[in-house]
Amino acid sequence: MEYFATELLTLLFAALRSATPVLAVVLGEAMTQRSGVINLGVEGQMLLGAMTGFAVASVTGDPWLGVMAACFAGIALSMVHAILVLGCGANQIASGVAVLILGGGLSAYYGTPFVGDKIDTLGNLNHTFVSDIPLLGQFLGPITPTVLITLLAIPAISIFLFRTRTGLRWRSTGESQDITRNLGHNPVHYQLAAIAFGGLMSGFAGAALAVDYTANWVEGMTAGRGLVAVGLVIVARWNPWYALPAALLFGASEALNLKLQSWGVNISPYLLATLPYMIPLSVLMLSYRGLRASGGGMPAGLSVVFQSAR
Amino acid sequence: MNIQLYNITKRFGDVTANDGISLDIRAGEVVALLGENGAGKSTLMKMLFGLYPPDGGAILINDRETTIESPQKAMSLGIGMVFQQFNLVPALSVLDNLLLAYPKSPFWTFRRLFRTSPRKAVLTYLQELAPGLAPDTLVRDLSVGQRQLLELVKVLNLDAKVLILDEPTSVLPPQEAERLWGLIRKLAEAGRSVVLITHKMQDVMACAHRVVVMRAGRMVQTLDRKQCTESSLVSLMMGDSNQRSAIEVTPREAFANRPPRISIRDLHARHGAQSVENIRLDIAPGEILGVAGVSGNGQHLLADALVGLTPLARGEVIIDGYLLQSASRPPSTSGRVSYIPEQPAVNAVAADLSLTTNVALSHFRHLSFFPAWAPEEQLTRNIIQRYQVRPDNPALAAGQLSGGNLQKLVVGRELEGDKDLIVAAYPTMGLDAGAAHDIYQALFAKANEGAAVLWISEDLDDLMSYAHRIAVLQGGRISGIFDPRECDRLDIGRAMTGEHQPARTQRPPEQKPADPRVRAAS
Repeated sequence: MEYFATELLTLLFAALRSATPVLAVVLGEAMTQRSGVINLGVEGQMLLGAMTGFAVASVTGDPWLGVMAACFAGIALSMVHAILVLGCGANQIASGVAVLILGGGLSAYYGTPFVGDKIDTLGNLNHTFVSDIPLLGQFLGPITPTVLITLLAIPAISIFLFRTRTGLRWRSTGESQDITRNLGHNPVHYQLAAIAFGGLMSGFAGAALAVDYTANWVEGMTAGRGLVAVGLVIVARWNPWYALPAALLFGASEALNLKLQSWGVNISPYLLATLPYMIPLSVLMLSYRGLRASGGGMPAGLSVVFQSAR
Repeated sequence: MNIQLYNITKRFGDVTANDGISLDIRAGEVVALLGENGAGKSTLMKMLFGLYPPDGGAILINDRETTIESPQKAMSLGIGMVFQQFNLVPALSVLDNLLLAYPKSPFWTFRRLFRTSPRKAVLTYLQELAPGLAPDTLVRDLSVGQRQLLELVKVLNLDAKVLILDEPTSVLPPQEAERLWGLIRKLAEAGRSVVLITHKMQDVMACAHRVVVMRAGRMVQTLDRKQCTESSLVSLMMGDSNQRSAIEVTPREAFANRPPRISIRDLHARHGAQSVENIRLDIAPGEILGVAGVSGNGQHLLADALVGLTPLARGEVIIDGYLLQSASRPPSTSGRVSYIPEQPAVNAVAADLSLTTNVALSHFRHLSFFPAWAPEEQLTRNIIQRYQVRPDNPALAAGQLSGGNLQKLVVGRELEGDKDLIVAAYPTMGLDAGAAHDIYQALFAKANEGAAVLWISEDLDDLMSYAHRIAVLQGGRISGIFDPRECDRLDIGRAMTGEHQPARTQRPPEQKPADPRVRAAS
């Protein structure tokens, strides 16, 4: 019994750590979509953030500088999407895919020299006060700063979105640009800020992955986490509070995948590796039926991009 | 605040929308701007609200000439306008919508701040006008009347001294319109001025102090309401067009004892959140069945299900003894059935194709593999001529025509040839009176030839004058079927809002006392 509880808690905290990069992207993308813009380029922004963060951490020796550089890299790349979509009126899907590929290419090109480098990590809660907490201390120990920052972002974002004037206008922009404009607010300002915030969060997610979680840089290391996050935004119903369970779904299935492999389950590791993608996808499909009837909290402005075929 | 419009002129291209109009708006007075669609009423008021610059003339506010270049300027001067199309975000709450429009809205929008602080000013007018309306209600759950009230509160929150209401009663069921009239009178007594843009006599008679009649961009006359009667206003409003030929409707005897041409049996259909349930209707050949109801109560879905654009969940539609639609097979369209959908400019034409092609598309199954275009073009020319579609070139792409002209083209196309069933959804919406008259004449002539007509409209007056029976849709169900000779507008209004029990009989049952909750909520 005790063994079982320990295993479960280990799995849960492993899930939390593995879910953090995805959670950050889900939060950022949910905010972007709340303003009526969808950005599929988050995957590319994440990669560029991961590469930049790792490179800066490696060169300067300061992982925190790396995290900050990653955030700026994410914002910079998201501005390509902003210019294409808001400035040139380009199709959001096409522009997002372009940003995705651009981010992948740039990070692969500039990241090559840093493959295999060693960097200092951000550290974790081991040997701090939490080690003294009975029972839970051993599980809280491996929690790293990026996990805490991302968790704190949830209440901060929801207070901003649901409890401030700016957040209200942000939401109304996502519901209807026309109405927002008629009320005397410029929707483009809010969408620009929303895309930039999505860029910041995905850049940060890249750093959480490369600088913190793995302390390593490999080309294409995000492995579709950014795109999974776009899907999880729907599961989370564009609500920052639901983003946590949605991202944990990914984290838990990834942790489960590793656990199953370590137990030596007789299934091909390639098949097992699809678990973190299959499980969120299944939940998305299951929850989508219910979503369609109620609208599911989807910002009405997205319906142009998101309309189902029938 | 006194406003004088002096010699205002506005042209759009060759069309003179307003021709030298002068008008006084005084404090504490309700001015009705009366005229048909296209008479220039809205244009005039949009200039006062800063949406268009006038081409000539001047606007004087408290005897000082003022340029109003934007709606923001108009609002800062204390002029507010409530449009026919509401500027409300359905997914947000009442309070959020008020805050979005509030000029000095607080940064923190925590709900509890409003109970204690002076910031509750946002809610003052709401509590005054609609005390039963909870600020946390989502706007999408409100009735049309409540939404309109909310728009009014938004304008009052801007500290507006002059309120312009654009056709406010056109979307309201009759009893809510009466409530609005009372509200308008109250606002005027409190010292505000109200400009009421309308084409309805009831609006004028109920609450106006002064009537300004407009026709074809000109001001015909200004009258004190006490001096005028409904009939004198009608003749002023219509002018010489009053001598239009009467619209002929099939006499009831023609189909009194004939079997129904269309039988709708126990029809159920569902699309997204919309549904229609338990629809049972028979329409005799030559009969015009009007369908009334507040928009969004299933009219669209019923029409789509009848003509075969949406599958039926249950039930069947029988035409002359043959099965037309049924739940057991996929929906199909038929050449014997015509459909004039709502917003034909969007739903019934392919914008990039020529007018001729668009007309031919309605019977594309009968076109040969290499279509003969000459007869199609001749047919298109006939429709263009009969319904006065402008510009009259059949080779133009449909997208180059205005919505009103496309509407006339679609009506012409759909009424072409022999039809058993014609489903017409708002066929005259937004058209000027002359064009609407022509469309009614053509539509009802088809009924006279033996077609069954299902006519969805939001204009109760038109329904009461031309339809043989009026079915009311409420929440996807038929909440009453009325004989327009034997009921009044309020009976239908009660059925529209669901205050009336469904009745199979022609006569509505005894009037029951109105639900106090409903009253309090709006």
